Amino acid sequence: MRSLNKKSTRFKVIDGLLIAMMILPMLAAICLKVVCTPASDGIEISGALIYWEFDGMPLQPLIISESQVNSWAVIITVFGLCLYLTHGLTEKAETKRQLAAEWIVEKVEGLVGANMEGERDIFGGYAPFICAIMGISGFSSLACLVGLFSPTGDVNVTAGWAILVFIIITYYKLKGGLGKYLIGFTKPVPLFTPMNIIGEFATPVSMAFRHYGNVLSGAVISVLIGSALRGLSAKILGGLPGVLGEFPLFQIGIPAVFSIYFDVFSGLMQAFIFAMLTMLNIAGAVPWEDWDARRAKKEKRKQKKAAKLAA
Amino acid sequence: MQSLSVISVNVWQIIISLCNLLILTFIVKKFLFKRIKKVFQQRRDAIDKDYSDAKEAREQAEEARMNYEAALAGAQQAGEQIISDASRSAERRSNEIILQARERADQICRQAETEARLEKKKAEAEIRREITDVSAELTGKLLEREINADDHRNLIDSFLQDIGSDT
Repeated sequence: MRSLNKKSTRFKVIDGLLIAMMILPMLAAICLKVVCTPASDGIEISGALIYWEFDGMPLQPLIISESQVNSWAVIITVFGLCLYLTHGLTEKAETKRQLAAEWIVEKVEGLVGANMEGERDIFGGYAPFICAIMGISGFSSLACLVGLFSPTGDVNVTAGWAILVFIIITYYKLKGGLGKYLIGFTKPVPLFTPMNIIGEFATPVSMAFRHYGNVLSGAVISVLIGSALRGLSAKILGGLPGVLGEFPLFQIGIPAVFSIYFDVFSGLMQAFIFAMLTMLNIAGAVPWEDWDARRAKKEKRKQKKAAKLAA
Repeated sequence: MQSLSVISVNVWQIIISLCNLLILTFIVKKFLFKRIKKVFQQRRDAIDKDYSDAKEAREQAEEARMNYEAALAGAQQAGEQIISDASRSAERRSNEIILQARERADQICRQAETEARLEKKKAEAEIRREITDVSAELTGKLLEREINADDHRNLIDSFLQDIGSDT
């Protein structure tokens, strides 16, 4: 492409900086992990490393662990990616990255349009939110490919997202009025009330645990396969003398095959599922009839007030 | 450094993760969606502008065509007008010419008549004089004698006067 050759040095320098912005946070997170990881021989299945703990907070100590740091690294990476993709936008879309950015925007908007828009279009503004969920979830799950702990493998992280979704869902359910919302729990019969309440909270809990469980189980299986393969190599090559006896033959390549499913596929799948569930739950939460009735009532009251004022 | 256990719920971590998602939403909205949407809008505006330009051009062409046709029709009418005017003026002129010619012919006729009358009168006078002379001579010869010429003339004149009045 000729337009690429024509780009100024300044443009290229900014491009380089943006690429660095994408890569450096990940490298920093890896370095931090390498520095802080305690030496251990055995197989260890544990949660995130605690980098920093602050006891002065109410309720619980504030813990900055690997998942938080990696989340921030992912955010900066996605930020850099956004800037990189939208760097040098033109009306005619001359660069591949612009086409990619447009593709992302169009696809996410299409997905949101297909899943959230019923008879009325009030969810158009949710496209960036859905895109952010997919981005942070996907990139977090893929972080394990560079040796980092996946933030999505920490239940606190996915719980935070699920709670945000739950807040949005409840916000839309309350559009029909608080009374209607509370009465809704006693349907179809008052006996069902406890179950309805549990069902209400089951949505965020199931979303959080589904995502977290899938990613963590992938990580656990990876660790197990790795250690099993190490044991297998030790068994078979153990008879050989010296360094050869400790050579981890089966650990070369084989874990990568499993990683494709457990880390890449499962992680991206969960990101997609989380986004889909978010969209469907939010779109399904709106009580249209009650909302309309409430709006009509409000309008009537306003008119009455106006009439009183006029009289 | 110690690790968290596999399941450990910490309120602050949940809040941090919630805020992270909100921040990323803001970033994606501001730095990806808004920018791309702006480009889409620009593109749409450009297309709209092209369309409106094309429409305008077509309208202009249509207007020009209408003007041209009107001008053509006007020119045709003007041509007809000119032709009819010209033929009318030519007719008028020919009538005038004919009239003038007729007048002139009449004039010429009249003139000729007058001239002829004058000639006639002149000729009559001449003839009268000659007859007088001739008759005087004849009479002189016949009578072989000299008569008083003046008397003679008077006599003949009165005679001729009688003849002339008869005629």
